[in-house]
Amino acid sequence: MIPSPEERLEETDMELIDRWKAGDSRAATRLVGRHSQALARFAASAGERDGIDELVQDTFVRAFASLDSFRGASTLRTWLFTIERRLMLDRRRADRRSRETVPVEESDHVSEYGALDSLIAEEAQERVRKSLDALSPTQREVFTLRVQQGLSYKEIADVVGTTEGAARVHYHNAIQTVKEFLKDE
Amino acid sequence: MNECIENEIKEMLPDLLHRTLTADASARVDAHLASCEECREELEVLQTVKSAAVFAPVIDVDHVVRQIPPYRTIVPVVERPAATRVVSWLLAATMAIAVVGGGSLVLTRRQVPTAPRPVVTTKTPLPGPSQPTAEPSGTLKSVSPTETVVAIAPQAHTPALALAADVGGLSDGNLEQLMSEMASFDALPATEGDPVIFVDSSYNLDEDSR
Repeated sequence: MIPSPEERLEETDMELIDRWKAGDSRAATRLVGRHSQALARFAASAGERDGIDELVQDTFVRAFASLDSFRGASTLRTWLFTIERRLMLDRRRADRRSRETVPVEESDHVSEYGALDSLIAEEAQERVRKSLDALSPTQREVFTLRVQQGLSYKEIADVVGTTEGAARVHYHNAIQTVKEFLKDE
Repeated sequence: MNECIENEIKEMLPDLLHRTLTADASARVDAHLASCEECREELEVLQTVKSAAVFAPVIDVDHVVRQIPPYRTIVPVVERPAATRVVSWLLAATMAIAVVGGGSLVLTRRQVPTAPRPVVTTKTPLPGPSQPTAEPSGTLKSVSPTETVVAIAPQAHTPALALAADVGGLSDGNLEQLMSEMASFDALPATEGDPVIFVDSSYNLDEDSR
């Protein structure tokens, strides 16, 4: 895969990490701004209901606290997804009785587009949300990481903690389920 | 609609959405899409899912950054492992034992006279009023070009110092001998006496002067 045109023009994550380590706090702002929404979308797509902003914040705090262990073998975003997923699993284990992992109600969502969301977009969101509800948790993670985040199967395998082949199978089963669901709607 | 068997193309559809394909791969997928209705429908589904992923809250970047401590304050201090500390203690104990033991050994050896009897050759005037005078350390000053052979008596052995070395290492026999020697000691330590000088009076100076 090749980097997107925007990424080619900007400093790489590793360069920003080095700048932050040298004391440049603006580099941290750049890094958080670059990856925070992707983390929020992943959490929402994975079924997190409350406290997504806190989850994203905790993910960054943990990530920055252990940046010395990040060697760049994967992309920073993949590494952040891995940390966030572990935090989500911890939260789910801690709140298993009180928390629901079903997707959020529509009124709870804050759209990136704010009040300009069209009714069509809301309808599409609802349909997609219901189709994702039909997936198993692992299928859902793999599918959203592949479609919404654009990760490779290798990266998905790293985040989810499975093999590349298993990630392909999960994706294949998930796309079949989503296609059938959306066709029936 | 026939089922598409181009799985490789299907797997690249999400990458096409994210514009992460190379130019060649992208052209290849586009060519396939022009003739495959199933893949076009799947791409549409993927586009819908991707576009609908907007129901996440907007993250306050500045707030998140404020929660991140500066780099230097969150780097944990590397604490030496317990094994290293144990090794350090063992090393220090070994060094202490070596210093104490070595010091005792040196002290013990100093107290055992092993040097040979000193023999000093000097010249003594015969006849004449002047006599060689012995220094407290046992050396002789010569005041005449003639020579004589003198021997300095060995210094008295001081077993009291030997006691301070290693009594525990002595055998029973040695201890008895030591006790018997101690019985003959004076109550006060003897001061170092003048060396006894033996003068060979048979030596003829006239022969030497020839």
